[in-house]
Amino acid sequence: MHFRIIRNDMLKSKAITLTTMIFVAAAAMLVSLAAILIVNLTGALDTLMIQAKTPHFMQMHSGALNTARLNAFAEQDANVEDFQVLEFLNMDGSQFRFGNRSLANSVQDNGLTVQSEKFDFLLNLDGSPIQASDGELYVPISYIKDGITKIGDKANISGKEFTVAGMLRDSQMNSSLASSKRMLVSKHDYEELKHAGNVEYLIEFRLKDLSKTSEFETAYASSGLEANGPAITYSLFKTLNAISDGMMIGVILLVSVLVVAIALMCIRFTLLAKIEDDYREIGVMKAIGLRISDIKGIYLVKYAAIAAAGCVLGYALSFVFKGMLLENIRMYMGESENTSLAMLFGVIGVLLVFGAIIAFVNGVLRRFRKISAAEAIRYGTSQEKASGAKRFNLSNNKLFHTNAFLGIKDVLARKKLYVTMLAVLVISAFIIIVPQNLYNTISSKSFIKYMGIGNSDMRIDIQQTDHMSEKAAEMLKTMSSDSAISKYAVLTTKTFKAKMENGSEERVKIELGDHSVFPVQYSEGTAPRVEDEVALSVMNAKELDKKVGDTMTLVIEGKEKNLKVSGIYSDITNGGKTAKAVFTDQSAEMMWVVISAVIADKSLIGSKVSEYTDKFPFAKVSDIDEFMAQTFGSTISAVGKASYSAIAVALLIAVLVTLLFMKLLVAKDRYSIAVMKAFGFTNSDIQAQYVTRSVFVLIVGIVLGTLLANTLGEMLAGAMVSYFGASAFQFTVNPLSAYLLSPLMMIGTVLIATIIGTSRAGQIKISESIKE
Amino acid sequence: MKKIIIGDQLVKSFGEGDEKRNVLDGVSVEINEGEFVAVMGPSGSGKSTLMFALSGTDGVNGGKVIMDNKNLAEIGENELSDIRRTKMGFVFQQPTMLKNLNILDNIILPSMRDNRKNAAQITEKARALMKRVGIAELEKRDITQVSGGQLQRAGICRALMNSPKIIFGDEPTGALNSKSAQEIMDIFSKINEAGTAVMLVTHDAKVAARTERIMFMRDGAIVSELSLPKFTGTDMDGRIEQITVKMREVGI
Repeated sequence: MHFRIIRNDMLKSKAITLTTMIFVAAAAMLVSLAAILIVNLTGALDTLMIQAKTPHFMQMHSGALNTARLNAFAEQDANVEDFQVLEFLNMDGSQFRFGNRSLANSVQDNGLTVQSEKFDFLLNLDGSPIQASDGELYVPISYIKDGITKIGDKANISGKEFTVAGMLRDSQMNSSLASSKRMLVSKHDYEELKHAGNVEYLIEFRLKDLSKTSEFETAYASSGLEANGPAITYSLFKTLNAISDGMMIGVILLVSVLVVAIALMCIRFTLLAKIEDDYREIGVMKAIGLRISDIKGIYLVKYAAIAAAGCVLGYALSFVFKGMLLENIRMYMGESENTSLAMLFGVIGVLLVFGAIIAFVNGVLRRFRKISAAEAIRYGTSQEKASGAKRFNLSNNKLFHTNAFLGIKDVLARKKLYVTMLAVLVISAFIIIVPQNLYNTISSKSFIKYMGIGNSDMRIDIQQTDHMSEKAAEMLKTMSSDSAISKYAVLTTKTFKAKMENGSEERVKIELGDHSVFPVQYSEGTAPRVEDEVALSVMNAKELDKKVGDTMTLVIEGKEKNLKVSGIYSDITNGGKTAKAVFTDQSAEMMWVVISAVIADKSLIGSKVSEYTDKFPFAKVSDIDEFMAQTFGSTISAVGKASYSAIAVALLIAVLVTLLFMKLLVAKDRYSIAVMKAFGFTNSDIQAQYVTRSVFVLIVGIVLGTLLANTLGEMLAGAMVSYFGASAFQFTVNPLSAYLLSPLMMIGTVLIATIIGTSRAGQIKISESIKE
Repeated sequence: MKKIIIGDQLVKSFGEGDEKRNVLDGVSVEINEGEFVAVMGPSGSGKSTLMFALSGTDGVNGGKVIMDNKNLAEIGENELSDIRRTKMGFVFQQPTMLKNLNILDNIILPSMRDNRKNAAQITEKARALMKRVGIAELEKRDITQVSGGQLQRAGICRALMNSPKIIFGDEPTGALNSKSAQEIMDIFSKINEAGTAVMLVTHDAKVAARTERIMFMRDGAIVSELSLPKFTGTDMDGRIEQITVKMREVGI
């Protein structure tokens, strides 16, 4: 009997059943994908770290190294299974040139290394250690993937020619979050280039028992051995490797939670409507002695059928899409061995979705308990009083047209039902506005101030050349007599040693010059104004553990000097670790010079850029928009694409849900519709009432969604951007698109969906529907 | 006497092919201004279908319905709605009220569609009507807070709001006890005395006995008619007797 009831019910409401099933399938697919990805990620990660023999504990160190003492420690400690010291030849990014492109703007510490003999191997894509021949260069996978270079291309490192021979998997530094990148060359080539950089040491240990890592870590730290640099353990390597794909999994999980929420909202809506419809029948069933669980069963079985079908479909779909998402894991880490386990976890994930739906339906059906059999049979409707809206009467309504009044009155009287639709529309508005605002913010010209660069029109970089200061002076002379340039400033970057409280030294890049001409965004404090002030980037302040007002000791012209931290600013260039000061210095080596200029007549920017490029071939002259596009273009366009797809997805959700709800409401309200038609309301009157209902709910939804987007959404986006070093983040909102076009787009789609969804209202026959 | 509605050779059928059967099988009816008419017949005889056809609420498969020189079968949906709203009133067996609105709002709803500007006048008129049928104190109540008889009176008020030419009643007392039914019939009589035509569909001889012309239907056709003098409050039993005799005569 159940089967027939379900079949008839579904056939009667095909669109509704289908939409619900689509949402369930999407949710099941996403959850299954997330499960499959998690299992594959951990599996592939384990394989990679076993093949590469990743160290269990690594101490980075720069400065002198006492090998004998380290050897003695390693031999003495019972935990140590194996021990080695690897060299990492850290070179400035500008030393690496691939074609006409350098790594000067790379946020990574780039360096060379040779293949290890004992463990911590750099692997090829088959998972075996690479042996580099002379003249061969192996680069991290991400450099190939991001298009910085290609296999077979020529590379130039500090004047020496190489051929890019392949990609390497680095179990330590694969992730873009690891701040260093190792490139592999032959021993011979390495020795030849050793003069061009600073050697840092990787002091690495393999332990007999991995569970004793923290014990060993303490032992090493307290032994007073070399420790000028961070120490990293096996589990942290694992985390670093997992984090980018982990973030993708996180996003998928987040989206799946949203989709599950929407699916549950749809179910709640249809179920509440159905209960209202069947009120009398439920009462009769109760009256003739059926148990509540029996009555629930009839409804549960239908949703169990929809959920089961959706889950199976979603699981099947997850197999279609998993290859695409696993590509990254396969490339960076290799194949996972536990594919069957992945399928099992996928099934478990899908079962969880199924269970959640059943539990939810069961929860909604709890209200059966409250239905009084006598009341249901007598009145056929719930006698629960509609709260509020009592004062909102037709007889004293002056504001709205009668149709509009009826629409609004219905929403107010059936809040429980409409709150479901509202929730979905709030989510849609949020999904539309947040990515759009983020895109608008990072693509706006003023975003440059978060990048640690002032707002200018033209930027001139002088680096990798001799006599930089003379060349800069020569350019400045030309610029000062150029009437087209309304203002300019020179910033010279030099490296200084900073003395830390614990006695160690850190190298800090400091931009010297007048910082008041092109101010940047300070999250705290102000720009340095006097000789003994210094401003730090957010990331540097964090790393050096300094706050505004703290003092910092720098070695300037051979003497230690105390500077006061005047401010902390956003910077996402040069890895986010920079500083600004105004003092003069003649001793330290000049790393690069940046000249920023404002051109009075904006139409001349292009011609000025080419004029200066021709006149000063040693300098890189760029239009600031172009500069932004180069350093940030891929991120901006990725966010742009994401925001467009977010709009499409959100509109699709809004359309589907509105269609579903309207169709259902019309089916449910056919009695009221028949009554109104009998008393002379036209079909367009009825449609106007439904349009009012959805537009009313939509407007509330847009307002709430926009408020949420500008508070919660801004916080979320700010947290994301702060990871790159920008602080004090605020949305730059384009009011036209965020507050006019987007709402209009939503209203337009919801209107169309409402009109389509209520088109059946006109076909309702009075004579058939008016007799209950 | 002037005719308000003319139904000419009305045919209405349900079902397809072999299943097809005519619920109205060539019925012709005329209703005059100010007339008080009843249609009687057993279930399935087509009496409600005739009412839906004459009021333009449901289309017909053959014949025509003329009101104000217009064939209701040929005019558009919107014009039909306008005619129903301005020239006709309806009272159904079950009180057809919108759940979300209170009694007063339900009554003024059809009038408010066109004349929102005159809300004050419309409300005044509604209150006067409510007073007339004895439910003046119920205007703020929800429709679930009043009795069936009270709801039916509210329904009559709603039907009268636009001063229609004719009121259709489909078993208007069918769901009421005899005391309430009698009170409702008193109201219909008063409405009719004031000049509005009333057409009632019923199987209750006591209801039909209040009217002046009774049409008897069987199998989709009007098989007989009975004219009675104007009801003055006396001789109810005699009128009922006449009707039951006629019913036996035509076999219903």
